Amino acid sequence: MLEILQNNWLLFLVGQYPHGPIGGLAMTLFMALTALALCFPFAICLALARLSPYRWLRLSATAIVHTVRGLPLIMFIFWTYFFSPLIIGRAVGGVETLIIALVVYEAAYLSEIIRAGIQGLPKGQFEAASALGLGYWTTTWKIVLPQALHNMLPSMVSQFVSTIKETSLGYVISAHEMTFAASQVNNVLLTQPFEVYAILALTYFVLCFALTSLARYIERRISAGRVAVATPAVAVAV
Amino acid sequence: MIQFESVDKWYGAMQALAGVSGEVRRGEVKVLVGPSGCGKSTLIRTVTRLEAIQGGRVLVDGVDVGARGVNINRLRQRVGFVFQAYNLFPHLSAIGNITLGLTKLRKMGKAEARERALAELARVGLAAKAEEMPGKLSGGQRQRVAIARSLAMDPEVMLFDEPTSALDPEMVGEVLAAIKQLATNGMTMICVTHEMGFAREVADEVWFMERGAVVERGRPADLINSSAHPRLQRFLRTLA
Amino acid sequence: MGYIFDLRGVLSGQYFDWFLIGLAVTIALTCAAWCLAMTMGIILTLIRMIPFRPFEWFVALYVEYHRNVPLLVQIFVWYFGVPSLLPRPARQWINGHHGEFLLATIALGLAAAAYVAEDIRSGIRSIPKAQNEAARSIGFGYLGAMGYVVLPQAIRIAVPPLINQTLLLFKNTSLAMAIGVGELTYRTREVESYTFKTFEAFAVATAIYLAISFGIMACGAYAGRRLKLENA
Repeated sequence: MLEILQNNWLLFLVGQYPHGPIGGLAMTLFMALTALALCFPFAICLALARLSPYRWLRLSATAIVHTVRGLPLIMFIFWTYFFSPLIIGRAVGGVETLIIALVVYEAAYLSEIIRAGIQGLPKGQFEAASALGLGYWTTTWKIVLPQALHNMLPSMVSQFVSTIKETSLGYVISAHEMTFAASQVNNVLLTQPFEVYAILALTYFVLCFALTSLARYIERRISAGRVAVATPAVAVAV
Repeated sequence: MIQFESVDKWYGAMQALAGVSGEVRRGEVKVLVGPSGCGKSTLIRTVTRLEAIQGGRVLVDGVDVGARGVNINRLRQRVGFVFQAYNLFPHLSAIGNITLGLTKLRKMGKAEARERALAELARVGLAAKAEEMPGKLSGGQRQRVAIARSLAMDPEVMLFDEPTSALDPEMVGEVLAAIKQLATNGMTMICVTHEMGFAREVADEVWFMERGAVVERGRPADLINSSAHPRLQRFLRTLA
Repeated sequence: MGYIFDLRGVLSGQYFDWFLIGLAVTIALTCAAWCLAMTMGIILTLIRMIPFRPFEWFVALYVEYHRNVPLLVQIFVWYFGVPSLLPRPARQWINGHHGEFLLATIALGLAAAAYVAEDIRSGIRSIPKAQNEAARSIGFGYLGAMGYVVLPQAIRIAVPPLINQTLLLFKNTSLAMAIGVGELTYRTREVESYTFKTFEAFAVATAIYLAISFGIMACGAYAGRRLKLENA
């Protein structure tokens, strides 16, 4: 196992770079971070829409969220894979495809977390804001979101973990990330599949477990400081 | 019936009971009063080993509750316990709460258990609510079901841990009436309560506790009216 | 684009059958993995109740591994990795008996078991200690209090999250396509590559996935309303 690691650690870490496209763990992290960052604005919009006083806005946001939750991620990836070239009008690489699919998918899940965060705020906050004469947008930006996002920090770290795990599906469309790198190593070695995939699993485990522990630590800090916000059970098992 | 022999109880470094001694004879009604945190609830919880003790002994009918080899489950069937927060089982109807112990522990047949449970519910005036789920009952009704649940096991002693403290004022009366009726029928009981009118009516003796110890004891009329117990008088004034 | 949406191409003859077979395999995989997940989840819960430290550590490690490693990687470990550790006859037996289905079931089931165990545990933890005390005060022992009072309530609380796990498990069966299990996603790609009707093929699969997912979600919402208990 050590020998495999010794001979292939660079491939696991950065893929074929500098002789080919960057990949491996570096690409896994890059895709997860980019997808989470890009989906954030969409998630906030979806969450606000789900809590909106307008019925049509609420219903359409709810429909979007439920549709996304009802479909396997792999279906999204294939839809994106086949149709983003048609829409954009040029060939789209695996990495871009995966990021686009993840942005849509994660936005729906993240919006549920944000919604729970907002609903978890004490009613008095909204009443106090309107008593001061603040309008909807001021209340949302200055009072509601800062508090909700602070309380949700642990859930967001968990969502980052989910996203990292989901990038492994890049393998299916040959996006150059860590799982793909491992399968390449396996194809070269042929004789030690258990060792190769154990290294892969262990790498994900160390990374994700560290982040999960960080999330728990933040959660304890926050709930020690103020009332904890209930996090919804929407973390994805991929 | 129940003997406390210099009972000590510690929560970490905090002493909850400090050498409490006393006896409750068959048919007697003792009322425990005292400021919150004085150890009165802890004391009655030691009787059925809901709290373990670190020093002394608690005897029920001459049997050391904390001794090895004591069948604590058998003992608990003989000692009824009524909680401040009722603790009804929310997944069972009022009558289901009562028949559970009868069918599973007493091995009664279903029909017999139902009959017995209905009789107990009738005794606390709730025969009509037998099929209601606890969530649909008022606080006073829940507490009366809880009393019926304990009585159905034919206990020789009843312990009440502030049975009316969680209730809205208008419901206190119905619960106290049920307990009073029991006392009149000669049930042995220890009752933790702040209801001094109730104590005066039914208690053979009142124990006043402070900082884990019984500091005064006597007949209710003597204690309540006497000026010889300044700390008790101060406590009673805070209740009024 | 001048594209005409026409489902007849993908819903006739053998292609229709492919979808049906794919759906059947997806459902079979979901059911088999679900049974494994429930059994293993309950076993893990029971092990965790034994007050012996190494058992607790084992369950904690089990849960953390399955929650922190991508499911696809877990499937690869089982499909590519584990058979290579087995003796030759066992490997041949697996290859001859739809090994990919069997190993996908194990991977999916064991992973879901970690979540099932967590859901059951939080169900039990959410029952106030006073309920146990009240049961013990009537004279029930540990098992009686657990069996008649704590667990019946804990299960009511755990059912909605468990239904949600079922939904995730159902969706996750699509990952088995990566090791060649002929489930719905795999068959959809086949239909697509034979007919070149990409849009239609994926529209059909999407509709099937959504219909079943919405069914499971509806069950979850119904169970959540039905099983809710008012405090007493």
